[in-house]
Amino acid sequence: MSAIKPMPPVAIEKPKAKVWNGARAIAETVKVADVDVIAAYPIRPYTGIMNALASMIADGEFTADIIVADSEHSQFEVVKHASAVGARVFAGSSGVGLAFAAEPIIVTALSQLPVVAAIGTRALDDPGNFGMEWSDALMFRDFGWLISWAKTVQEAADMTLVAYRVAEDRRVLLPHFIALDGAAITHVATPVVPVTKQQATEFLPPYRPPYRIDPQDGPVTKAQHIAPSLIGPEERKTIDVAQKRSKQVIAEAWKDFAKYTGREYTPFLETIGMEDAEFALIGMGAYMKDLELVASRLRSKGHKVGTVRLRYVRPFPAEELINALGGVKAAGVIEFGYSFGSPFGTGSLYHEVATSLYEADAKPTLLDFLFLGGREPTVEHFTQLAEKVIESAHKKPQKKTYWLTLRGEDI
Amino acid sequence: MTVKLVKVTPKVERYPEYEELDWVIAHGLGVDHTADITSFSQTIAQAGSIKGIETYYYMRYDDSPERNYIPMAFYTVLGKPKVPVLLHEEVEPVGELFKVIAVFSSSLLLQKTAQRALLFDGAKKDAILLVNTSITTDDVVRLVKKYNLAQDWFGKVVTISAAKIDSAIAYPMLGALARGWDRIDLDSILTALDVLGKEKKKESVRKGYEAASVKEVHVLAEETEMFKKIKREVELPEFTGEFWTPDVYYAYQKAAAEAQTYPSRIAAMPRWEVLAPGLIEFGPQPGKRNLGFTTPWRWQRPIIDMNKCTDCKLCHYYCPDGAIDFAPIKVDIDYCKGCGTCEKVCPVKAIKMVPEIEYLEGLRDEEVLRRFEQREYGF
Repeated sequence: MSAIKPMPPVAIEKPKAKVWNGARAIAETVKVADVDVIAAYPIRPYTGIMNALASMIADGEFTADIIVADSEHSQFEVVKHASAVGARVFAGSSGVGLAFAAEPIIVTALSQLPVVAAIGTRALDDPGNFGMEWSDALMFRDFGWLISWAKTVQEAADMTLVAYRVAEDRRVLLPHFIALDGAAITHVATPVVPVTKQQATEFLPPYRPPYRIDPQDGPVTKAQHIAPSLIGPEERKTIDVAQKRSKQVIAEAWKDFAKYTGREYTPFLETIGMEDAEFALIGMGAYMKDLELVASRLRSKGHKVGTVRLRYVRPFPAEELINALGGVKAAGVIEFGYSFGSPFGTGSLYHEVATSLYEADAKPTLLDFLFLGGREPTVEHFTQLAEKVIESAHKKPQKKTYWLTLRGEDI
Repeated sequence: MTVKLVKVTPKVERYPEYEELDWVIAHGLGVDHTADITSFSQTIAQAGSIKGIETYYYMRYDDSPERNYIPMAFYTVLGKPKVPVLLHEEVEPVGELFKVIAVFSSSLLLQKTAQRALLFDGAKKDAILLVNTSITTDDVVRLVKKYNLAQDWFGKVVTISAAKIDSAIAYPMLGALARGWDRIDLDSILTALDVLGKEKKKESVRKGYEAASVKEVHVLAEETEMFKKIKREVELPEFTGEFWTPDVYYAYQKAAAEAQTYPSRIAAMPRWEVLAPGLIEFGPQPGKRNLGFTTPWRWQRPIIDMNKCTDCKLCHYYCPDGAIDFAPIKVDIDYCKGCGTCEKVCPVKAIKMVPEIEYLEGLRDEEVLRRFEQREYGF
């Protein structure tokens, strides 16, 4: 009988930061999230995510069914049905790919299937380009999907795990988009602390849909076509209530996430320097980092500038926004999405912010700054717009909207 | 209608925020070098991260490296204490950014092959030029003087014949970088490879470190031939409130095709008021090719041996860019992208692809361009 070998001490492995781009980071989180079915169809900038997942599955790093569909429409049909039979699923797309998949995307929400999908945001073409615009993701703000927006690669990785937890919560049961600024998150690699398998398992309970389509559970029909006289507004109200309930679930989930990973996030708004701010810069996504730098530089010159970053567009944190902007004289919305022919020619995010502020007691002067067509802004542009916001507090601005990267006259 | 042209001086912008950081730009050829440039940039960023420096790396998103040989660029940005790393991909027009210019194929030293900008656009004065080549450091300096506009450059040239050490040229290049640049030392690169699970490549890095040649250089802008050639102005149609007409369109196209630097290429792009609804482009005039389809980035060119040519015209029919004239068979070199399709289809092997550097310089370039292998999680 051989001697029993002494057990080596269990090393507590501190996760090392890995240099990953956003696409890879998301894929790594999907890996640890115990996803069953992945449907893919390439379109830049989302492609990196499916490439990373396919490589990892091929290398045997984890097991999942990956189905490369014949189009984005089929791709979202695949995950919709897989979700209905009880699988945890992942999909994603960009730009016109999402537009093409609009029908299954909309039906997924109305069927209350907790699909999680990543959007590498991209301008809608042609004519146009593959640059970063928010119009593709914001196209789906009206149909029941939860939509969150990441600032950093780290946040994108973390958001993916939280998305599953929120979407699959029985109080919610809604699909969830994680919007990543195309190029700025998807193609930029930074040090990321990965979510470990253990953290993911503890944080994210297995997906157990209440009524899955499975012969073992007995016959179930789902998402039928019904005469409006029988069921109509009632069905819509269930979605509405789920969206409203999701706010509490999101807050709980992020609190819990901090417990398991040590990374803390405020659930809906990230505010910097807003305690005493007179001027606010409101936006989402990766470029908030540059805006924060501009705000801090202006602050050192004596201007009380703060930044407000929305982490969720759906559900929209209106109360939180009103509270954050209390005492602000002027604010600027910085956005990469537009609505042609809209009131005063303003962008999609502006409408959300302006609608929220209509209910506020004191309304700041609100300006809109548009970066459209995928052309990239610089710190220079952000400094210009912040100065316009400061100026507007004591001098009535001549116009509401500014196209900052435009060649030609901004009329 | 005649179009009145006015001279426009391109605006050169500078962004001090970005200049405070250390940028490494890596130039390579699309697809062939994608995997290597990714590994190169990732390892530098990981090494920076190990040293506690905030780091980013990314490709130039505007490039389309799905197509072989299109010059593409990757950036690695290393922060400094108290200076956060900012996001900014369109780095060409800005001031003095690049501390290291890594060139994965010496064909990119030719001014013609740089895509939107010249190789030294955006370089710091003390930039380190790291080239994967079998030619000597002196020859690199000579090529820089001949084909590039190096703005008053008091830096270093580091050369390494990477393909001789490892077919994955990124790793010898990393060793050579450590030899020439003290910010990222050899130890941190080796540690980074451990973190990335690429322990096997450590030997290649060490060999690269040893095999690299380093030379201090001192070049003034006036000494470079490009200095005399570059036009400081572009000629554009005067904006009269008129709509897009073929004449206006061709004038813009001509200006864009002639533009040598990034700022002048940007200046040659139209303002919104002149665009036709639906983004109309006018076709070429009869018998002429479209000016917009000329290429600045071809790295090899076909030479036809007329003694062997049987005038079968297959190359004419197969050329994806319509760059080969019909009768007689002749390559319009302004439009040739150097893809090599004509060489492949020629039944009598009368066409030979010659590297531009060899053609222009009479030099043998030993580099072996690797194909498609080892692509990492892609783009």
